[in-house]
This record gives sequence, C-alpha cells and structure tokens, in this order.
Amino acid sequence: MSDQASLGETMIAAIARTIEDGTAAFHGFGSPLVQLALHVAKRTHAPDLVLVAGATYGINPNPPFLAPTSNDWVMDRGSEAALDIEELFDLAAAGRMDRMFLSGLQIDKWGSCNVTRLGANELKLKLPGGGGGCNLSCDVGAMTLWTAAHRAPANDQGKRRYRLVEKCDFITNLGHRTLDGRRPAELGHHGGGPDSLVTDLGVFDFDADGHMRLTSLYPDTSVDDVMENTQFEPKLADDIATIPLPDPEIVALIRRLDPMRIHERELQPGDRKRGFG
Amino acid sequence: MTDKPINGNGSDWPGAPVHTAENKRADVEALIGHVENGNVVAVGGGLSSREPMAIIRALIRKGVKDLNVVGSAHGIDIDLLCAGGAVSESSESYVGFEQDFGMAPNYRRACESGDVKVNDSCCYTVVQQLRATIMGLPFMPVRSIRGTSVFDMHPEYKTMTCPYTGEELTLVPAVQPDVAIIHAQYGDAHGNLRIEGPPVADILFAKASKKVIASVEEIVSNERLQELGGPNIPYFYVTALAEVPMGAHPTACYPFYAYDREHTKNYYDQAKQGAETFKSGYLDPFVLGCAGHEAYLEQIGGEDTARHLGSWKDGDEAWMSLYGGASA
Repeated sequence: MSDQASLGETMIAAIARTIEDGTAAFHGFGSPLVQLALHVAKRTHAPDLVLVAGATYGINPNPPFLAPTSNDWVMDRGSEAALDIEELFDLAAAGRMDRMFLSGLQIDKWGSCNVTRLGANELKLKLPGGGGGCNLSCDVGAMTLWTAAHRAPANDQGKRRYRLVEKCDFITNLGHRTLDGRRPAELGHHGGGPDSLVTDLGVFDFDADGHMRLTSLYPDTSVDDVMENTQFEPKLADDIATIPLPDPEIVALIRRLDPMRIHERELQPGDRKRGFG
Repeated sequence: MTDKPINGNGSDWPGAPVHTAENKRADVEALIGHVENGNVVAVGGGLSSREPMAIIRALIRKGVKDLNVVGSAHGIDIDLLCAGGAVSESSESYVGFEQDFGMAPNYRRACESGDVKVNDSCCYTVVQQLRATIMGLPFMPVRSIRGTSVFDMHPEYKTMTCPYTGEELTLVPAVQPDVAIIHAQYGDAHGNLRIEGPPVADILFAKASKKVIASVEEIVSNERLQELGGPNIPYFYVTALAEVPMGAHPTACYPFYAYDREHTKNYYDQAKQGAETFKSGYLDPFVLGCAGHEAYLEQIGGEDTARHLGSWKDGDEAWMSLYGGASA
C-alpha cells in the first residue's frame, strides 16, 4: 500500500476523534472499524478511556489481532476486568456510559437507524436486528454513527437504495426525532443522541435542532457526491473542511492491530482501493 | 402477539422447580426429551461462541416444531433451527453473521415467508424480562424503548407514570423460558456448570427458566470443578446434562477449540443459495443424515478437525491461521 492512508484507516481515525479521554465507551459486535477506532483512541489521545468490548464485555482488552467475529477469546485477550451483560446495560441506563457506536441499513436525517426490517408495512427484507442498540440509543451520553455504504449507486432503472434516508421504515435506534416527530427529551430519555456520523463520503455532525449537517469531506469526495447519494438534503457547515489523514504512526498501529484487514470487509468492494496522501 | 406476557405471569406463577436429583447425567436424546413443541426456548452462548449446536441438531432431527426463541445476539444456532423448521416465532435481538458474512439466510427466508413471526427484542429488554422472572416479579421498568418502532411492535409493553418522580417509564413483562439450552466447558454429575470466558446471557437464562438442559465438553468431579474455579450455574437450576465433546462445533468452545470459520463459511455459502441447496448441501449431510453426534464428528473430519481447531493454543500465528492468516 503506497498511499499514506486507506479509506478504512481514515474512517477509523475519524471515528477515533469522536472519542474523549477519561470517558467510558462501548462498541457493539460486527463493527471492526469502530473496534479499531477505540483501540487507536486508547493508545493515542485517550489513554484513560474505559474501553468496553462488544460481545465479550471485556474492559481494556489488548487483542493480538482482530478476529472476524467479536465473540472470540482473541478479542478478550488482556482484558483487565469483564462485565456481565446486565452490568453493561445497567451502566448505560444509569448514565455511566458516555459513548456508543451505531449504524443501520437506513439512517435518517435525525440520526435514527433501522436494523430491523425494510418495508414500513409489508416486510420486504428482514435484517439481523439491533442487538442492544434500541435500549442504548435512548440511554448513552452520546453516539457516533457510522456507515461504509453511504454511496448509493443507481441501478439500471436509475433507482437508488439510499443508506441515508429521509425517513426510516422502522426505527430500531432512536436519533433526535421519533417517526412522529417527537424529541427524545420529551419522552424523558437521558441520552444525548448522535453527535457525529462518519461515512465513506464525509463526516457529519448534528445541528442544534438535531438535523444532520455535513462538516468535512475526503480529498476525493465533493458536496455534490454527498447530495447525490443522500435521499434528503443535509445541512452544510459554513466551512466544509477536509478530513485529516491519520498520522503514519496511527496507520502503522491500525495495520499492526488488524493484520488480516478484517475492517475492509465493512467497505464496499470498490472502496477497498481508495487511499489518500 | 396477545397482550399477555410470553409465558410469564401464568397460572403456575411464581417460580420454577428446583432440580435436586443427585445424578443428572443423560445422553443428548434424553436431554431433548425436555423440549416440547411450542416451548419458549432460550439458547445460550452468543454469535460464534458456545452455541449448543449438538443439541440443536438433535432437536431438528427429532422434528421439534413451533419454538419461540428468546435471547440476545445469535447466529448459526437460530439460523439452523429456522432451516430445520423448528421455529415459529423469534424474539431474539440479533440473528446474523456480523460483518463477516452478513445476514442469516435461513432466518431471513423464514421471517420473510411468514413461517417465523418477527418479534425482535433488544438486549437490555431481554435482561430485564429475565430479571423480572428471577426476582419473582411480573414486570420490570426501563426508561428506554419508548419512541422507537420496537415499542410499537410489542403491544405487551406498557407505560406507567412513576409514582415517585412523575416520569413516564416502559414496562416489559417477565419472560420465563420453558427450557434454557446451554453448552458449557465443564459440569459435574450433579449438574453444576462452569462456563469459562464470557457467559453472555446464560446465567440469567439458567436462573429464569423452568428447565435447563446442558451439554458440556467434560463432566468432572465437583472437586475438580472447584479447582477449575467453581461453578457459575449451581446444580439445582439444571435438569439434565450430557458430556458432548465438540458439542458447540462449528462455534468455539475455548479452551478446547476455536471457531470453525471454514465450516461456517461453507454453511453460509450453501444457505445463501436457497433452501433447496442448503438442504442437500448442508442439512442432509451434517444434520438429518447423521444418526447422532458421533456421526456428525466423523462427517466434519473427526480427530483431525478437533486437533486443528485446538491449535489456537500454539500461539498467535497459529490462532490467526485458523481465520485465514495475515494474507487473508
């Protein structure tokens, strides 16, 4: 790999930047980009991060390599303690889990995610389900959303299956609005909702109203790319920045943590060749 | 879904029996005699680890029907039960193969055809529903869920105004599985179980269920069990157990063996091609065509496969090579 950083590595670094030192953060299963982002954060700017691993619920593990599945003793290696399933979710319900990472086959403009089903009325596609996301989305301090499939190419009929949609068919994980337009705070939820979204096309935050807003782009993507591949019109930050490329030390760290490049399985096949620098 | 809790606040409330027999040893055929058509079943383990696969294969061979499966994060276990026609309702939180293979093909087909009623849950909801049963209460409150479509999917969830703070809360009814099916590393003849590594929801399942049937890699003396660190599921929750080496294959049961990703990939490839291909390419050779667990072990390559999957102990390189190695 001659580039300074691949798309995957740049996304991992972007997700890592949403993690603050001295906080507790938890990743779910099936999310290698996020797993690596947590390990990068812990080993760089956030040494006092309480890193809770998904599926094993190990705390501060030091896996020798990233496994293709989260519930593997590999992923638990070096953990200094472990939580029970009830303890993990109790922590979130009691307001002691600062950040969680969620995604979906549909993500709407308020940051709600659908991982349950396509088809609002008739079931068109049964998705695997949300794990603990439904509960956690209401409870955790803040959420980083991510997807490596923002790009939604048109098919032969010119139709696109958008990942970033106007409205989810089903809300599994709650963002800043319910399907009928209520805010989570009106329902008494304690969670702060999503504050960032990292995709293969750009990085977003959420404005004071809770609406998704584009803040930065990759060296090879444009506002037009984002608009074309998004079903709704995202807000635009006053100054759209370029997503910083990870330092060579961080790239080297990612390559050491994930020698099998498991995280690239999250990327679209065409994106595995994208690199910058 | 009726307005009634899943088998929760029923006529036999409260509680389940304690299982006091001195010798709980059984074989797999006897274990599955405890599972009846229509049961609410909690399958232990999670994703690619410690799934009670030998028991699941036996249930499919027997032709068990109409199970309602409840749990947190699952994969091949629930997918295979769906392929075997054993499930009529899924109250799981997740059934899939993570980013590695993605969606669970047989589960998806069964849900989309209507054979399996989709009743998805969420991990903390399941935890609270089990804890209600464990505490002898008809429900537990949670603050979350309201405002999501998961709430609308479950008419049995209610809301209440907290009499102390005035805030609105969600109530989820107690869940008491008829049977929990668990695969543990070790057990003793009395039924004490020792799970090594992440227990997932198994301990909650054991405490909340009317019956627990378990397969273990090794049945040892209680003395030996104490040396290993002691049981984490006491015997009186457990109805019967069987010694079934490699009983979680193709999922992992460390320290005995790692996840058989190669076998799982073949499973997934067959399943993805459709129900007929899956039947002839997987279900017949590995489940229906095997008289029992011994025959299955022969079919997957016997001792050689067991040794290969045990080679994770030889170091990180060997461990990684089980998943394709650094060049994968």
